[in-house]
Amino acid sequence: MYEFVRGPLLWVAFIVFIVGMIYRVAALISLSKKKDKVVYDHFSAKWALKSIFHWLLPLNRTVAQYPVYSILTYLFHIILLGVPIFLLAHNVLWHESWKISWWSLPEDVADYLSLLMLALILFLMVRRMVAPYARIVTTAYDYALLLVVAMPFLTGYMAYHQWINYQWMLILHILSGELMLILIPFTKLSHMILFFLSRAHIGSEFGERRGTVTW
Amino acid sequence: MGEPVNTQVIKERLDAAKGARMKMWLELCAHCGLCAESCFFYQAHDKDPTYMPSYKIIKTLGELYKKKGEVSREFLEETREIVWGKCTACRRCSMYCPFGIDIATMIATVRGICNTQGVHPEGLQRAVDNYWAEGNQMAMTKEDWLETCTWMESETGEEIAGLQIPMDKEGANIMYTVNAREPMYYPQDVGMAATIFNIAGEDWTMTSEGWDDTNLAMFAGDAKCMAHVTKLTYDAAIRLKAKQIAITE
Repeated sequence: MYEFVRGPLLWVAFIVFIVGMIYRVAALISLSKKKDKVVYDHFSAKWALKSIFHWLLPLNRTVAQYPVYSILTYLFHIILLGVPIFLLAHNVLWHESWKISWWSLPEDVADYLSLLMLALILFLMVRRMVAPYARIVTTAYDYALLLVVAMPFLTGYMAYHQWINYQWMLILHILSGELMLILIPFTKLSHMILFFLSRAHIGSEFGERRGTVTW
Repeated sequence: MGEPVNTQVIKERLDAAKGARMKMWLELCAHCGLCAESCFFYQAHDKDPTYMPSYKIIKTLGELYKKKGEVSREFLEETREIVWGKCTACRRCSMYCPFGIDIATMIATVRGICNTQGVHPEGLQRAVDNYWAEGNQMAMTKEDWLETCTWMESETGEEIAGLQIPMDKEGANIMYTVNAREPMYYPQDVGMAATIFNIAGEDWTMTSEGWDDTNLAMFAGDAKCMAHVTKLTYDAAIRLKAKQIAITE
């Protein structure tokens, strides 16, 4: 079972994630050439990059408006990308399979960050229940996606500490990570890539067409 | 108001509107709620969450897509209250949305859909009818417009010697256009603008056609009339070989 989820299934997950995402972007761009021609007469690479830059970094009015939420969600995203990439155990696997590896986080730091991640997800869930402006637009789908993101961290933490059954926890951990990868192209998680398209558009729309900024 | 809803037309509109941007926006919204503070309707209504931008889209366009256009007249009436009564399409929310979703453009799509079913604010529809009739929102006739300009030329000319309001002059630097309410209710506005142009020594002209620079058809969600109004002004500038079009304050 372990060999299967660690081998072929991992390939499937990565391929679905990468090919799926490329397909999504290609399909959107090709559709835009037919039905969104208006975008192209004012598209500007300069404004697109500026728009992306100001929102990738905390250089916009929304961050100033919601400082606490911003800090927490930046942490959320940094941990989400950073911990899996720089985890020592993951590095070991890369080395085993491909003879490649890179810098790793100290194990205890990664451990604390995973706990922090779970706390952040809990915060995001509670906020959805408590803040009226978030609650009114929240659906079960939003909670489900947070769970999808929480699972790899929860099972990873439990596997590292060898809680319950290590072997099964590890398999569950790999499966939940693969599930997240597979879901990215087909759910709101696709904002991981579509964020750049959307920001490029609005940056050009406000910048090149009207000379105003969107941050 | 018991007229049946032509869901076929709504479906066609929904399909036509579903380009790459619309698809992306509908999918992207993370329901984060950060657009709330951007909306002055939300602010002015004690932060009532039903006024927040993303909610207004979910309740209107979101429902329309979810129901594939199969909606009732009651739904459209409620939608009218949201897309005209709770939103000015000012686009401020796009500046607060982390993904830069163009919410106002989506509202405009819904307005267009309501419009196909005769659901719209009455005042706006009167303006649309007026545009079709006389090319301006007040249905002012060409004679009345030309007369008002001549009248203002002579009245303002009493204060500023040699003041002129050129009409249909070819090759001018600026073609000046007004809000049709001005010649209708505040004709002195035309005289004041003429004063500025004369004193500044500008090479300018007025136009006998396409002189109304308002476009209430845009707010009505009537794309056909919106294009008609814009084209009147555009064609006038081309015909007069004007270098620039200036619009009233």
